Amino acid sequence: MTHPEGPVLCVRGIDKSFGHVEALTDVFLEVHRHEVVALVGDNAAGKSTLAKIIAGVLQPDAGLIELDGQPVTIPSAAAAHALGIATVFQDLALCENLDVVDNLFLGRELHRHRRSWLRGDQRRTLAVDDAAMEDEAREILTALTSRIPSVRTPVHGLSAGQRQTVAIARTLLGRPRVVVLDEPTASLSVAQTAEVLTHVDSLRELGHAVILISHNMADVRAVADRIEVLRHGRNNGSFVASRASHEEILAAITGVTRR
Amino acid sequence: MAAVKRFGGLTQVELAAATGLSAATVSTIVKELAAAGVLETTTTSRSGRRALRVTIARQAGLVAGVHIGPRGLTVALGDLAHEVVADQSLPLPVDHRADTTLDRVALLVVDLFEKVGASLDELQAVGVALAAPVDAATGIVAVRGALPGWEDTAVGPVLEKRLGKPVHLDTDATLGAFAEHLLGAGRPVRDLLYVRLSYATSAGLVLGGRLHRGGTGTAGQLGHVRVDPTGPLCPCGNRGCLDTEVGEAALLEHVRPALGDVTLRDVIRRARTGDPGCARVLTDAARRTGEVVAGLVTVLDPQLVVVGGELAHADAGAVEALRESVRRNSLPHRFATADVVAGSLGTRAELLGALELARAQTDVAEGVTG
Repeated sequence: MTHPEGPVLCVRGIDKSFGHVEALTDVFLEVHRHEVVALVGDNAAGKSTLAKIIAGVLQPDAGLIELDGQPVTIPSAAAAHALGIATVFQDLALCENLDVVDNLFLGRELHRHRRSWLRGDQRRTLAVDDAAMEDEAREILTALTSRIPSVRTPVHGLSAGQRQTVAIARTLLGRPRVVVLDEPTASLSVAQTAEVLTHVDSLRELGHAVILISHNMADVRAVADRIEVLRHGRNNGSFVASRASHEEILAAITGVTRR
Repeated sequence: MAAVKRFGGLTQVELAAATGLSAATVSTIVKELAAAGVLETTTTSRSGRRALRVTIARQAGLVAGVHIGPRGLTVALGDLAHEVVADQSLPLPVDHRADTTLDRVALLVVDLFEKVGASLDELQAVGVALAAPVDAATGIVAVRGALPGWEDTAVGPVLEKRLGKPVHLDTDATLGAFAEHLLGAGRPVRDLLYVRLSYATSAGLVLGGRLHRGGTGTAGQLGHVRVDPTGPLCPCGNRGCLDTEVGEAALLEHVRPALGDVTLRDVIRRARTGDPGCARVLTDAARRTGEVVAGLVTVLDPQLVVVGGELAHADAGAVEALRESVRRNSLPHRFATADVVAGSLGTRAELLGALELARAQTDVAEGVTG
């Protein structure tokens, strides 16, 4: 692979054990701007463990993580967010009772300065800027070519695909460089899958580096540039999506040896 | 109106939120438009409360249009008044297979019907634009390697079985020409050549106001005109076809030394955002295509050449280069020359053409004119 710019995120030599179970052994992964890298593998191949390490949820036993060529440590999820790494996990972690805007900005509300004329002392106080949040929410959803009609709809009124959209949109708030999506199309209908895959395409067009974890080979091959196979916690093949066949990738996942 | 179209159908409250207008204003507008027969309202429930669902009024049934390309498909529903009611795109893998993809098309059509609150009984016909030449007699892809994985599938019968409605199939460039002629840049003329610059190069013809499909339905295969007798082998079985120089694989080969493994969409995006190298590759390809188009212009003498496809809409320079090339290489006419313009329907021309195809067939069946 020749890329004019270096990778945004590069992890190398990652080891991670849970007791005697070796979840990851000497794993390598890198992702560039405007690139979707798919991470595929069987259950317990270590996909989600790697995602959690990149998201700062788990700490590797050994290995190096580089962001824009600089070695970094990601001690917590907040640190990952500060470094520009955003992750959407399978459970989405949305608040059912809150609307789309509130979910997007939960814990990161925009504030505006307000002069308190009433007291005459012109002391500045902070107020939640609802209008600005609503505008930005609309902007992000439009950039994702989303079709959620109202940003004031409570999340419990949305379809599974639309919820995924909200979760993806939330990651975009901090203008992250790397977006990690863990099984975004699991248990979605074809139409909802279409919506989510279109969003992944938009993320790539917007210049984000995307790591897509999925079981579904059709979805992966539709949107990914590169496909990295994990098997028993080790790298077991790297494919250029436009040139690799379905069968080759399956062989690497299941460990079929070819002569 | 735009909001209702974009979301297919939504409640009056959602409409207020989506447009930023007050509920009262929306209510008034909806009432006026409903009285004028433009919108339709039905009572439904949202979160346990009564709500008024607003949809575009459909005139005499719906048709579905499908555009299947090498890396994605789009499905749209339209009514018989040339309006698109709802649509949805889906990215597809390289060398996607006919059975999986057609299954997804059928499911997406059904889902769109649900979205606009219509029943499948209202579906009159389906039009399919396929990014490959289709044999008119059998409905099977007529050229080897044009759409790998689709060679043995008769698309029409498969979809007819799934949806239970008549399915009409044609090459996407032909339907692009149809749409530009009916709705777009080609409306004023009777003789139109539509050139589609995309993953492959193709053309659609409207002659004397009628769509020209050719004897076997494969007219307009511009990309398979030979430009170099000793050129590389084309998947079709010939040597030195135009597409071996300006098709997807050739273009990506040109940018590989500088950019590495990128997709055609990357090249298009870079050209659009001002990357001089990618813009250059596209304009050079358009110029080369123009040399072949010039031959067609000399022979057919169309009034207008309309350029469409993703590559044409990526960079204004591409259309400009094609125009120059056609001027230089076609028969110099003493009084008038065919103009070369960019299509006005953008990259949706083929999809709109598929809808128009389905509409046209329905019109004939019901004896409706217009």
